[in-house]
Amino acid sequence: MEERRRLSILITPSAIFMLVLFVLPLLIMVVYTFRQGSFGPTSRIFTLAHYHDFLSDRALQGLLWRSVVQSFWISLISVCLAYPVAYHLSFQAGERKMTLLTIIIVTAWVSFLLRILAWKVLLGGSGAIASLAQSLGLSEEGMPFLIYSQEAVNLTLIYVWIPFVALPIFAGLERIDPSLHEAAYDLGCSRPEAFVRVTLPLSLPGVVAGFLFVFIPTVGEYVTPSLVGGTTGVMFGNIVRDQFVRALNWPLGSLMSLAMLIVVLIPLVIAARLFKFSDLAGL
Amino acid sequence: MKLQAFVSRSVLFVLLGMFLVSCGGGQAEGDGKLTILEWSGYEATENPDFFGPFVEKYGETFGDKLDYIFFAEDAEAYAKIQTDVAADLVHPCNSWWQLYVDNGLVQEIDTTKLSNWSHVNPALAAMGQFDGKQYFVPWDWGYESMLVRTDLVPEVPTSWADLWDPQYAGHIALWDSGEANYAMTALAFGIDPWNTTPEDDEFIKQKLIELKPNVLTYWSDYTEAYDLPQTGDAWIVVNAWQDAYANADSSGYAVEYVQPAEKRLGWVCGFGISPNTADLDLAYEYIDASIADSSMAALANTYWYGPSNTNALADIDPYVVEFMELDQAASIQERTSFYRPITEEQRQIRTGIWDEVKVSQ
Repeated sequence: MEERRRLSILITPSAIFMLVLFVLPLLIMVVYTFRQGSFGPTSRIFTLAHYHDFLSDRALQGLLWRSVVQSFWISLISVCLAYPVAYHLSFQAGERKMTLLTIIIVTAWVSFLLRILAWKVLLGGSGAIASLAQSLGLSEEGMPFLIYSQEAVNLTLIYVWIPFVALPIFAGLERIDPSLHEAAYDLGCSRPEAFVRVTLPLSLPGVVAGFLFVFIPTVGEYVTPSLVGGTTGVMFGNIVRDQFVRALNWPLGSLMSLAMLIVVLIPLVIAARLFKFSDLAGL
Repeated sequence: MKLQAFVSRSVLFVLLGMFLVSCGGGQAEGDGKLTILEWSGYEATENPDFFGPFVEKYGETFGDKLDYIFFAEDAEAYAKIQTDVAADLVHPCNSWWQLYVDNGLVQEIDTTKLSNWSHVNPALAAMGQFDGKQYFVPWDWGYESMLVRTDLVPEVPTSWADLWDPQYAGHIALWDSGEANYAMTALAFGIDPWNTTPEDDEFIKQKLIELKPNVLTYWSDYTEAYDLPQTGDAWIVVNAWQDAYANADSSGYAVEYVQPAEKRLGWVCGFGISPNTADLDLAYEYIDASIADSSMAALANTYWYGPSNTNALADIDPYVVEFMELDQAASIQERTSFYRPITEEQRQIRTGIWDEVKVSQ
């Protein structure tokens, strides 16, 4: 009983924090979806009109779906690229482990915006990659290469996310007892077999955590698409932002955010069913 | 602690927190201090010469009289003032002015309290009048037009309608603003942007979708309007403000700021006073200082924005005067199609059209 009491005292500050700054705003957002206007007298009229608008807008739903699919691929590719990094760190880096880990963490410290802008420079008409593409005959003189497209958004986001994905996978790999590998070899497994049958399954919680780390924020991403996405890279988050800061249609913006939240919750629920939450958290 | 006790305690804390938060947004007090809802870059603490007489009167401690709350978009300012921000002065642009007046967010201005009022361009002053009463004091104005890299384009466009020409395929940067693109497209096809029908809405939407193959990207921050023509990624930056031209020109790029056959677009921004202002005299002093000759010349020389005060010309860089055609103040409106107030509904429709254009594949 004493321990439970102590635990509840420890939890209270963060619980209040979450209630006030997360649960409460979320509820306010849900209330907003039923309001006719954002403020003033029209905000006191409740209506289902925005639900009707959103549910009958195939283009908007289509964009949400495309953003989800795009985020899925970005997350998957990030995981595939980050896995070897994490694997090397955990099993092969030896004494350099801490140094390499620090390098990865330090790159993640560089401002998110700065790294996007760096790609903008690299891919732009007078940038290094564009110049290379021009000398190889892949694009015209002075023309931007790859930038202002959905591919540029994907490339930039994958680049940005790799260190963030590598860390949970690394944590997952670190938890694997080395004696399990030895046991696998003793029982006649080759190295690839040991990887597929022992290492990979045991590291899956870290992989799933890394995947979700990327997937969840990417679905709502709007900064990267607006900087490097051009006309084809527009994502659902850009339109949500427009509702809030341009149209001042907070009810529709809230509803769109809610729809996005529900879509993001689905893989989260699936992951929670397959793995214990404590595994995903790397505990 | 039992769960029930824990929950009830948490709820208490939440309510307490909400109470404290609601206390924070109270009315401005009459403490001889002004709270100003302002775009960043206009504040007296940053540019004291924009408010010369005010700074002179209050000396070095003039900053103690002023509190600024900043916004980056007109919509943000309007949302702030409609919710919980108590500001004495607000500096929105004219397509929003009517909303402020209709919602009782500004009070009538007694122009006799402004010693510099007689120098304000009457055409601009008239835009701040609603129902025959003056509600806004115009301060800064400017153009929106096409900024063109003349060394890159095969042909310099001479009208908004030229943007649809396939020779510019993939080289146009549009402003990510539904309102601006709607107005620009309406002008291009001979429609009055401020007197449109639902058929016009549909037509403008289709035209904007047709424009997409020519569009490289959308710019949203003014720095992008600086960078895009400099890197050469975009040949034409649409609805660029004249400061983008000033920047590209002074950086040595071959650029032109087009005078389209259908007129440039124009914007005016100005001060309105909240009905709840405690220190009305201080508010008038601040506004009067902002439209003084010397203040307006400083603003024009710094940002290349047009001054509402036509008397300020003598102190403005002749190059700016010539480029902005400030010496022909009386005919500004003949060359420029100024934005006009639109309703909340119209704004949502125009943003909605633009979102549909962006979402379309």
